[in-house]
Amino acid sequence: MRKVSVIGAGNVGATAVYHIARLDLADVVMVDVVEGLPQAKALDFRHSAPLRGFGVEVIGTNDYADIKDSDVVVMTAGIARKPGMDRMDLLKTNVGIAKTAAQNIAKYAPDSVVIAVTNPLDVIAMALLRETKFPWERVVGMAGVLDSTRFRYFIAEALDVWPGDVEAMVLGGHGDSMVPLTSYASVGGIPLAELMDKETIDRLVARTRKGGGEIVNYLKSGSAYYAPGASAARMTQAVLRGESALIPASAHLTGQYGYEGIFLGVPLRLGAGGIEEIIEVELSPEEKAALDKSAEAVKGGVKTLESLQVGG
Amino acid sequence: MAGVSIVGSGNVGANTAFFIAETCTVDVTLVDASEGRSTGKALDMMEAAPLRKYGAQLKGADSIDAIEGSEVVVVAVGAVRKAGSDRASLFADNAQDVAQIARDVARLAPQSVVIVMTEPVDALTTLFVQESGFPRTRVLGLGAVLDSARLRQVVARELSLSSENVSAMVVGTHSEEMVALPTYSRISGIPLPQLMSAAEIDRLVDEVRSAGDEIVRLAGRTSSYYAPGAVAAELVNAIVNDLKRVMPVSLLLDGELGISGCALSLPAIVGRGGVAKVLEPKLDADQKQRLVASAEKVKATAQSGGKK
Repeated sequence: MRKVSVIGAGNVGATAVYHIARLDLADVVMVDVVEGLPQAKALDFRHSAPLRGFGVEVIGTNDYADIKDSDVVVMTAGIARKPGMDRMDLLKTNVGIAKTAAQNIAKYAPDSVVIAVTNPLDVIAMALLRETKFPWERVVGMAGVLDSTRFRYFIAEALDVWPGDVEAMVLGGHGDSMVPLTSYASVGGIPLAELMDKETIDRLVARTRKGGGEIVNYLKSGSAYYAPGASAARMTQAVLRGESALIPASAHLTGQYGYEGIFLGVPLRLGAGGIEEIIEVELSPEEKAALDKSAEAVKGGVKTLESLQVGG
Repeated sequence: MAGVSIVGSGNVGANTAFFIAETCTVDVTLVDASEGRSTGKALDMMEAAPLRKYGAQLKGADSIDAIEGSEVVVVAVGAVRKAGSDRASLFADNAQDVAQIARDVARLAPQSVVIVMTEPVDALTTLFVQESGFPRTRVLGLGAVLDSARLRQVVARELSLSSENVSAMVVGTHSEEMVALPTYSRISGIPLPQLMSAAEIDRLVDEVRSAGDEIVRLAGRTSSYYAPGAVAAELVNAIVNDLKRVMPVSLLLDGELGISGCALSLPAIVGRGGVAKVLEPKLDADQKQRLVASAEKVKATAQSGGKK
């Protein structure tokens, strides 16, 4: 049986574990520093096995040694921003958590594919890549799948069609500067522009950019985890099944789209060994300009990372 | 209203029932005039229920009366193609049976949505609307939605992808004259022509064009029924769960693309009650001309009359 480890037993991690266990493709290990928490959630899951019909093992642990020989490691650990905390403090804390995780991943699961979920995503992915010293193909960030599934849902809701028939790509950094590609959005293959006026499309694009924020505003404390957990599981499935799935995700770029040395959301193929290919699609001048802007925002984060001396 | 009825329990009807049981939770009645046949097949499927965890009941019946009150009626009766024969030639064999079923459905399940699978599907969908008096939005032919499923599969195969994120649009008649729309065919939203050359696309479209023939030729005694059954089950699921799927189905055209009076496939939104909306794709002059020519052929077939 293959093995997936999910680091962080918070809501995102636990929801990802739920979806991954339901695939019935791999045993799942949930790791968290909080004593008892991953054990409790894993036990609760196992109790649902007779009803939900999954046959894989789900265990909780506080010991990184239990991730040994994992095929996939999903990194969700990190703190959420609290009121009054500045982004820099958040970044320092989460980069520290990511460094520890990365060292343990390199030690115990040296052949794994790492899926980064913790925010700020594009910077955490870079920290994981540098600290694990993994080849670039084996560290991939979960951003585009989540931003795209939100965009797809908003389109389906507006047109009153089945969400599964809607395809869309969101590229760029995982933040307000993300780039929803309206020309690549389609419903059953029909381009979005033939089904909706520009004003409506613009409104859905704006809502997608603020998709995470909209949920934070409702929840007051806490952030989204159902769609993020499902998105992490979707990527895990692509690796476990060797799908070569064509999805948008954050990858370490070395010249593609004209960017170098940053993680940025791009269309890629994800399969058994991680990223198999980065796909360069045609962009309009406006889309390219928006992607440039997004890349600049991510570069700022990488500079901060360098000041924290990660992997240096 | 309750349940789905499938008229005809040959390979196409039985596999449609099987895929519905696997993917939906709606009761299915298989109807076949051949005594005991549908009951035997339904029983066989129900005996797999403990393993496959079906959330529905399947049963068989010998009389058409069993379709009474159905929410969806699938028409899967009739002769299938033999190697070397074309679909249109089946009209003479199947028209009388389908016309009778149309009148029975109008009487027994007057509020149902109908899925016509019998070949030639576009001509028989046209005939079904005429004979049942149903509004055109409640009679859907399993036309290009099948060609489009096949195109998705060959595109996915060619690009080494799972077909999940591949959409492919085929419109027009379910025959050699089907019209594939490459720019309306996408992989995770990326138009197919960005990922494949025009020559490669043409080769795949030709493969789909003759896919049905290929299966008839290879299988010898039967025509295809796995993909048709799977696609019919998707349509049933879209209707009973009001999913509002976007799929190219055959329906009687009423001015779309300037065509009226015969059924051809166009993309449509399918949910409870059948077709909620027809979506007209933008066609170039050549594609449009091919659709108009197909329409004339379908009309001619539909008016040719069946064997007495």
